[in-house]
Amino acid sequence: MLNLETAQSPHKLRRVAIEPVTRVEGHGKVTILLGDENRVHQVRLHIVEFRGFEVFIRGRPYWEVPIAVQRLCGICPVSHLLAATKAMDLIAGYGPLTPTAEKLRRLLHYGQIVQSHALHFFYLSSPDLLFGFESEVGKRNVLGVAAAFPDLAKQGILTRKFGQEVIRHIAGKRIHGTGVISGGVNKALAQADRDSMRAGVDQIVDWSKAAAGLVVKLHGTSPEFYKNFGESRANMMGLVDQRGAVDFYHGALRARDADGGPIFDQVDYATYKSLLQEDVKNWSYMKFLHIKTLGPDKGWYRVGPLARVQVTDFLPTPLAEAERQKFLAVGGGKPLHGALMYHWARMIEMLHAAEMARELLDDPDIVKTELMADKGPRREEGIGVIEAPRGTLFHHYRVDENDLTTYCNLIVSTTNNNQAMNEAIRAVASRYLSGHELTEGLLNNIEVAIRAYDPCLSCATHALGQMPLEVDLVDADGALVSRARKG
Amino acid sequence: MSATAKTSALPKVRAATTSLAGCFGCHMSFLDIDERILDLMQIVEFDRSPLTDIKHCGPCDIALIEGGCCNAENVHVLRELRANAKILVAVGACAINGGLPALRNSLDVGDILNEVYRTPDGAASNVPKDPELPLLFDKVYPVNEVVRVDYFIPGCPPSGDTIWKFLNDLILGRMPRLDPQLMHYD
Amino acid sequence: MTAPDSTILIDDVPVPFKPGQTILEAALEAGVFIPHLCFHPELGAHGSCRLCNVIVNGRNISACTMKAASGQEIEVDTWLGESAQAYRRTLVQMLFVEGNHFCPSCEKSGNCQLQALGYDSEMMTPHFVEFYPHRPVDASHPDVLLDLNRCILCELCVRASRDMDGKSVFALAGRGMASHIIVNSPSGKLGDTNFSATDKAAHVCPVGAILIKRVGFAKPIGQRRYDLEPISEEATPRREVEEAK
Repeated sequence: MLNLETAQSPHKLRRVAIEPVTRVEGHGKVTILLGDENRVHQVRLHIVEFRGFEVFIRGRPYWEVPIAVQRLCGICPVSHLLAATKAMDLIAGYGPLTPTAEKLRRLLHYGQIVQSHALHFFYLSSPDLLFGFESEVGKRNVLGVAAAFPDLAKQGILTRKFGQEVIRHIAGKRIHGTGVISGGVNKALAQADRDSMRAGVDQIVDWSKAAAGLVVKLHGTSPEFYKNFGESRANMMGLVDQRGAVDFYHGALRARDADGGPIFDQVDYATYKSLLQEDVKNWSYMKFLHIKTLGPDKGWYRVGPLARVQVTDFLPTPLAEAERQKFLAVGGGKPLHGALMYHWARMIEMLHAAEMARELLDDPDIVKTELMADKGPRREEGIGVIEAPRGTLFHHYRVDENDLTTYCNLIVSTTNNNQAMNEAIRAVASRYLSGHELTEGLLNNIEVAIRAYDPCLSCATHALGQMPLEVDLVDADGALVSRARKG
Repeated sequence: MSATAKTSALPKVRAATTSLAGCFGCHMSFLDIDERILDLMQIVEFDRSPLTDIKHCGPCDIALIEGGCCNAENVHVLRELRANAKILVAVGACAINGGLPALRNSLDVGDILNEVYRTPDGAASNVPKDPELPLLFDKVYPVNEVVRVDYFIPGCPPSGDTIWKFLNDLILGRMPRLDPQLMHYD
Repeated sequence: MTAPDSTILIDDVPVPFKPGQTILEAALEAGVFIPHLCFHPELGAHGSCRLCNVIVNGRNISACTMKAASGQEIEVDTWLGESAQAYRRTLVQMLFVEGNHFCPSCEKSGNCQLQALGYDSEMMTPHFVEFYPHRPVDASHPDVLLDLNRCILCELCVRASRDMDGKSVFALAGRGMASHIIVNSPSGKLGDTNFSATDKAAHVCPVGAILIKRVGFAKPIGQRRYDLEPISEEATPRREVEEAK
């Protein structure tokens, strides 16, 4: 499985690079080492960005952290805002959220999933799917799609716009808002804003269903190709509620193996460190995660739409569940692992999020004004986990008695997919590139496999750090007297 | 700004964009012009950009830069765009003052790397080290400390309306200026 | 004794003044905005930030220290025919690069005088090379956070604590580039003083250096002070900043 990760004698091989990977968020590059007759010996996806957020956020007051951390990503800031605030809810000592606050946070989250999935499908990926992976470079972008398919482009733009407007109404701005605070939300939803969103959501549900239908049609043009391209058989993980249905906002962890069998289920996500293990490889700033009990070779796993729609027992909205059944039928009872299946799963999720948003907009609680939970005793530590558009997102903090952050650990969604993406591009390289002259179009096939995962590479350079617990004893001048370390 | 028969006879404005050490939020905010992009594309075509597959910039009229410079690769890309663009615009807090990534600037980057990649027993650090990884800088640098910048659009991110106002002014030959409600640093 | 007995000319507009008022006080009372940072109506003038520099009968002076007098012809927006905005902007830019003024995650954003003056002077970039200094954060007090990343050395806290609270919790130490606020306790920590969240000094900071804890982002975007109106439209002398609860 790792046979294309490290070549035997790299210095004897010829290097080709895809730099940068385009139509993804963030900075990645792919290097391919070729031997005689263009045989592929090594393929690697390098994440070349490093932020260091979990270190420089130390010493900041805890109420500032969610507002800062969401700036890791401009596509999914709401995910970070919510996950970090869920952790700070616990640290600040808040009890259960008011119904209105939780529903507003959920509506915000579903709005985000609609806009993020619409962005990814229409703006980033559709050029490959509609024009062909090796089509003309000048046209192979969102403006090319808008020129050739203006109605489709308009639907995609307006679907994303709807999601962004939901975010603006609740968070105060479309990108990097402040609406979510420890214990609740800082603003009630005005009736007029609720009415305007409700008036628009039916159309969004229809368009999302049509988008899922479009993917089905594309698959129909070449079913075996779509099913198998960039396939990497992977374990799968996601958050599920007590019924076993995926819940984007809150739940417990479930993992299934590549055949759909159980690995763990209904596990409290606060115990994530006992479940997941990280490794560092020399050639990428992004770490590699695996399920501890299965080891690094067999324990790597996938998150995000392709995992979620197959980890869930059902989707609790009718139109999305119907689409999911069509999707599952392709596998004939076995889970699907082809990279392109992500697009279908993603449109099913976009439909599901739109239906969930509609339910909340019809809920009378959504305009009520009880926004803050009751406060109890403070806690030292809090962990907030959420299903971001790209997969399971973990935020873990410790805060001292002076309200300053002392520890931060993040597992960002795309980090979970690091090995899976590498496996996918190795599959594409050995099947389609090896032995051939490498044209621009052929290289784009590699990028198509990466794009399918909807990676968020700026976020992804954050680590499951096995931080030791350090206690310093200092005297009145601040000089170190002694230090104890554990871990 | 609407498409007319007259404008379609003129050569299009060629624009390049990049996100250096940014979160991509300014690019997303650019897309927050929503359906106005359909009008824009009558007048503007894109060169190198995260939204296109053109990997290296050719001669162009406008370069929009999101993000500051945190490593050597950022500077190479920035210089490529500056050399090819008539007008270079720093968009957003990160490009203008370093932004969130620059919060690491008062710390030592070596210490940060060692912390993040510390081994589980805390005894050592496995900082990734490979020729494919660009050299990290001691600090994150704002764009105007590396190249000459012609215009700045503040915000984190600047709103879609702000970016739209700026592009309208620039392309139509006016001095770009933001109304008070479009002017934000957050 | 309440009727003004004279007027001064500010940008060719007559503005009344009472005996003893400074030019800045007279202007603000008449609804004429002159940018300022280190002035507070209850604490008087300091003359240190230089934002209120105006031209009076051809000479540069700070409007906060100069007493209004009959016959003065004062230029605020144009100085000797040139726009004054660029000079004020340069002062604001220098203040921005000297500290760590990261607006996006600062809870004072939208309520911050420095930020508002940046908007007012159309500061699009800090222009100068950023210092990125290492500045301390003191969270030792149970109710008040002291974040010196954002301190602009206006000394409003020093004056308020000394003259209004009678406590002298803060002082300015060092010289030149090394000037900084210090705390009056043996440990140097705020938590070891008798400072209280109800002190005047806890509410006079024009930026986000002295903050009541655990308020954070309670005020939504759109309802913050400078969302509602720009700083130049504030008709009355600067009000005490209200910390939302």
